[in-house]
Amino acid sequence: MEQNGFFSFLLGNLREFLTYTGFANLTAGHIVMILVGLFFIFLAIKYEFEPLLLIPIGFGILIGNIPFKEAGLMVGIYEEGSVLNILYSGVRQGWYPPLIFLGIGAMTDFSALISNPKLILVGAAAQFGIFAAYMIALLMDFAPNQAAAIGIIGGADGPTAIFLSSKLAPNLMGAIAIAAYSYMALVPVIQPPVMRLLTNSKERLIKMKPPRVVSQNEKIIFPIIGLLLTTFLVPSGLPLLGMLFFGNLLKESGVTRRLAETARGPLIDVITILLGLTVGASTQATQFLNWGSLKIFGLGALSFVIATAAGVLFVKLFNLFLTEGNKINPLIGNSGVSAVPDSARISQHVGLEYDKTNHLLMHAMGPNVAGVIGSAVAAGILLGFLS
Amino acid sequence: MNKIMKSILKVMSAAVLLIAAVQANAQDAVKLRINEIMLNNESNYTDEFGKRSAWVEIFNPSYATVNIAGCYLTDDPNNPTKYFIQKGDVLTQIKPRQHVVFFMDKTPDHGTFHTNFTAEKRYVALFDANGKTLIDELTIPEMDVDVSYGRLVDGGPDLGVLPNTTPSTNNLAPDTNVANERFMANDRTGIGMSITAMTVVFLALALLFMVFLYVGKFYVSSAKKRAIKSAEAAGEEIPASLDVESGEVYAAIAMALYEYQNDIHDLEHTILTIEKISRAYSPWSSKIYGLRQLPQLKK
Repeated sequence: MEQNGFFSFLLGNLREFLTYTGFANLTAGHIVMILVGLFFIFLAIKYEFEPLLLIPIGFGILIGNIPFKEAGLMVGIYEEGSVLNILYSGVRQGWYPPLIFLGIGAMTDFSALISNPKLILVGAAAQFGIFAAYMIALLMDFAPNQAAAIGIIGGADGPTAIFLSSKLAPNLMGAIAIAAYSYMALVPVIQPPVMRLLTNSKERLIKMKPPRVVSQNEKIIFPIIGLLLTTFLVPSGLPLLGMLFFGNLLKESGVTRRLAETARGPLIDVITILLGLTVGASTQATQFLNWGSLKIFGLGALSFVIATAAGVLFVKLFNLFLTEGNKINPLIGNSGVSAVPDSARISQHVGLEYDKTNHLLMHAMGPNVAGVIGSAVAAGILLGFLS
Repeated sequence: MNKIMKSILKVMSAAVLLIAAVQANAQDAVKLRINEIMLNNESNYTDEFGKRSAWVEIFNPSYATVNIAGCYLTDDPNNPTKYFIQKGDVLTQIKPRQHVVFFMDKTPDHGTFHTNFTAEKRYVALFDANGKTLIDELTIPEMDVDVSYGRLVDGGPDLGVLPNTTPSTNNLAPDTNVANERFMANDRTGIGMSITAMTVVFLALALLFMVFLYVGKFYVSSAKKRAIKSAEAAGEEIPASLDVESGEVYAAIAMALYEYQNDIHDLEHTILTIEKISRAYSPWSSKIYGLRQLPQLKK
């Protein structure tokens, strides 16, 4: 009798344990998300699409989609006080993105922009993708704050997208972050067809004047004036722009080498790991997998295409006002989105397809870094209007 | 001269620190506002002892926590330091956009939030920690029982009888996202937002463009002037073209120097191969390369 009681106790324990396993709590959503995570890891390793982002995000998706029983075990990223939840606070409260911007500032050379300042305007034009996606999202019945958070995907700037969505639409942040980073990784797939479609063979062969040498003083002045001009106009962009220009001054001042190296090395690496992993883990199927997320993915792709097209078309328009010899190759128009330096690399590759001697990389870096500033400014404006 | 400059810098730094300190202080309690007052409390808010009395609500309109401890509440403008808000109570920290309520029941021994005066004078003022700076004051008209008077919107300038009594919470609680509603009502398609925002983006980047267009021109012309000056000083002929070379030229020169200094060649002098070569003679089998000194023919 006593033995029976002991066995039923063991059996009960075993049954109880089984209810806690991932197998018992598995849903179709978890399987879908695990497959998405594996696909990201595959893309990163096989095709080297943004591996520094896709590996942490892909693995984060696996971590976030291990099924578990919601019994207060403090394992899920959405459980207040769990380890993952604490790490996720940098995303939720938006302090990882400015630190990433600090690192980006410390590794960005703005010489191309300073030597040919008209390329700054290309970076502005490409931001149209953000607002086109905003309008389409409104048509799809998203609220203005949600539409703005979705539209920012078109800026091709992961940290900015996370920053803005954490402020305007925290419930959509997981989907927005995943979409933003995925499309940044897919820049080599999305942009070239649009660039080819919108340019003719004559335009693709335009050779631009080589950029002049930029003095150290100009490089030092740039982050200071850049900060003052942009943030006086859009103070809500201060966290991103402030850190971007601060990082750049650390780099260019020439007297803070150690700080600059930390910002562009260990610091940005640590934050990238934490950001990628927690953004990935935030895609817990129970919270993430719905029609809204799918719509966000669709809109994100569309905004990327529109941003690329806007950049290319703006260059073509701009060329109408430029004299022969000063014209801009429209193949650098795609670089107005702020996927640095991927979209500039795309300009270079596509340019070389048509002329083996036409190196567009340095020219494309101008609008590319202007795009970083432009998307931060756009995020600041949206935040100012809609928060 | 150097000493003078250093002194000036020191004075300027001290001034900046002083201004910053003053500013930091000014950002504290001076932003607080007397937000809502109830004079005749018969069936409304009770204190922690279950008693009802007149109360005054203070609102922190800033986005930083403000500590009200050390400030003074009074019902007499001639006696600004009548009730000292004691330090050491954690509840005197008012979180951003939050409220605290003081009961005007003349029982300060009941705790920090019980003043030593009543509301019979229908006047309440909040003074800063120096006891002189008036932060906010309110004179209340005659009121019905259980009706409160205050700012129609938290921290706002308009005063009046409030439709609901809202101790320790917002006087006007928005039940919708105001910004969203505004944009949905006036800009349903998003065209307005797109035009405005794109204009600002272009403006911000066009400003940068203008500034660096002229900064660039200035630096290019100064570089030319320096080149002319140094050529004149050295008695050399001024070069016909003083255009600043492109970065590509300098990069090519730097690369050539680097390769020269590191003995790197596009084409190496010799080729090391495991393939069988056609000629029978090879430097590898030549005795001449195995000798430390060239043999000298003695005649």
